[in-house]
Amino acid sequence: MLKLSRHRNLAHVLAQCAPVQYRSLGSQTPFDLEPEAQDDKYADLNTMYSQMFTEGGKSAKRAASQPSNNSFDIDALNAEIAEAYNFAPRPISGDFFEQIVKSPGRFIIQSLSTNPYYNLALEEYVFRNTPAPKGKLFSNERLLFYVNDKCVVIGKNQTPWKELFLDNCETKGYKYVRRRSGGGAVVHDLGNVNYSYLTSRDNFQREYFNKQIVHWLTDLRPEAEIHLNHRGDIHLNDFKVSGSAFKIAMGKSYHHGTMLINSDLSSFKGLLKPDNVEHISWSGGSVESVRSNVSNMKEAGFSSTDEFINICTDGFRRTMQEEVPVYLVDETTTTTDQLSKNTKDLASGEWLYESGPSFSVTIAHHSISVVKGVIKESTIPGCTGQHFKDFVNLLRQNQILGVNVKI
Amino acid sequence: MIRTCSQSVLKFSARSTPRLFLRAQSSNALTSSQIPFTFSKAGPLAVKYTSQHEWIAAHQDGTAFVGITKYAADALGDATYVELPDIDTELEAGDSLGSLESVKSASEIYSPLAGTVVEVNESLNDSPQLINEDPMGEAWIAKLRLSNLEDLKNEELMSLEKYEESLKEDH
Repeated sequence: MLKLSRHRNLAHVLAQCAPVQYRSLGSQTPFDLEPEAQDDKYADLNTMYSQMFTEGGKSAKRAASQPSNNSFDIDALNAEIAEAYNFAPRPISGDFFEQIVKSPGRFIIQSLSTNPYYNLALEEYVFRNTPAPKGKLFSNERLLFYVNDKCVVIGKNQTPWKELFLDNCETKGYKYVRRRSGGGAVVHDLGNVNYSYLTSRDNFQREYFNKQIVHWLTDLRPEAEIHLNHRGDIHLNDFKVSGSAFKIAMGKSYHHGTMLINSDLSSFKGLLKPDNVEHISWSGGSVESVRSNVSNMKEAGFSSTDEFINICTDGFRRTMQEEVPVYLVDETTTTTDQLSKNTKDLASGEWLYESGPSFSVTIAHHSISVVKGVIKESTIPGCTGQHFKDFVNLLRQNQILGVNVKI
Repeated sequence: MIRTCSQSVLKFSARSTPRLFLRAQSSNALTSSQIPFTFSKAGPLAVKYTSQHEWIAAHQDGTAFVGITKYAADALGDATYVELPDIDTELEAGDSLGSLESVKSASEIYSPLAGTVVEVNESLNDSPQLINEDPMGEAWIAKLRLSNLEDLKNEELMSLEKYEESLKEDH
């Protein structure tokens, strides 16, 4: 329907609309971005598109002039243009997000949100709703990228008080997050990028995606000492730069991992607890963290989280031999009821403090056993039935008589 | 894992192994010396498998034991934590029964049939490695009171022979 010349104008208009992001693939620009290339003949059309793709147009004008044009149409068009020209204009709507997740096929999602609860909720939504037809070859692989603002993240079968200096985290502005996958404690900030590769349970191989990443990175910088260690983690010069965790459910699996690019590593000190803290010993089924010396990928010349995302996007497309589309999402535009619920659940006290493994802890000469975040037995009088979280706070304020140790 | 009938019949007649032989050879057969088998004198009424790699051993009185298969335990690697369900939880077929963590991966375990959790295997709390040592016996995960023994006829559930066949097809 649209002629090439119209595309040129459309591209120009789109280029002026914020936020426009160019994807890595831009080996050739399929249109002229020079202002002179504009043709007044198509001014009306351009205005229409300007309105469609800007906030002003979205609110009043569109409602008045194009009553049938809902946000879904805009997203479909956006996605089509993004695919045709390899740049993604704006975050997609919740409706469109829901539709692509529930339909078969491969895609990549990049989140513009830095809220860790939203990003994990997003991942969970994609994981739960990706179709996994039984007995058929799986071709619905999904790849997600997200960057979280300062936070400390533990595995679902860990105990926060054992792994984290929660008070330090709070003072230094690191949010406490408990993810749905296994594994140990990690620290995130804006210099760390997270990737998440979803495939079927049958195709699940623990080291597969990290091997791919190492391959893509060393392709670009053959001189860099990037390799997998015996635990399948990516190392740079014998320092850990990436941690992985996995989830398997409903015939599907995901591997998500962190990648330190230019994180403020010196600020990470005092957030994660060492193996042993004096006068305190923990027992119970929770999973151990493995302490490692970490480094940033900037040491090997990788400069930004976006660069890493671009490298992986290109690599993934080559591996899949398919122009896998990239969609942008963010917390204000890409919302669904389920996504909001997931976000709320992940940030809830119940998930963070009351649904981890049962454990026992010995503090000085006292012992306490905790089930679902509540003290079941204790040698300290009067604290049975109390939430362990509240008990820890009282301990911090020296309000538990005869116990001078803090957790 | 669900195949078309014609395919499955063809493969079956061509590659079928005598039942007793398979039972003795297969690592995915129930361990005959452990409670999931010995719970009733006559042994279980039926042992069935799911495409998600759980097994269920149901006895005449409606009691059933659930665990994960040897194949799944091997594939997942060293178990570090088993999340058990609460007693008295009522489950529909396919509901989450708990989860298993092994080498940084958390895997959901689903109930093959509808029922109520009457007991959980507490020994897994201190010894998750039992999952790797004897997943088909000592490392049973939950004991259920089945809602209806007739549910065992559910076509989604596989016999040992069918389960083994499905593994060959996938890998």
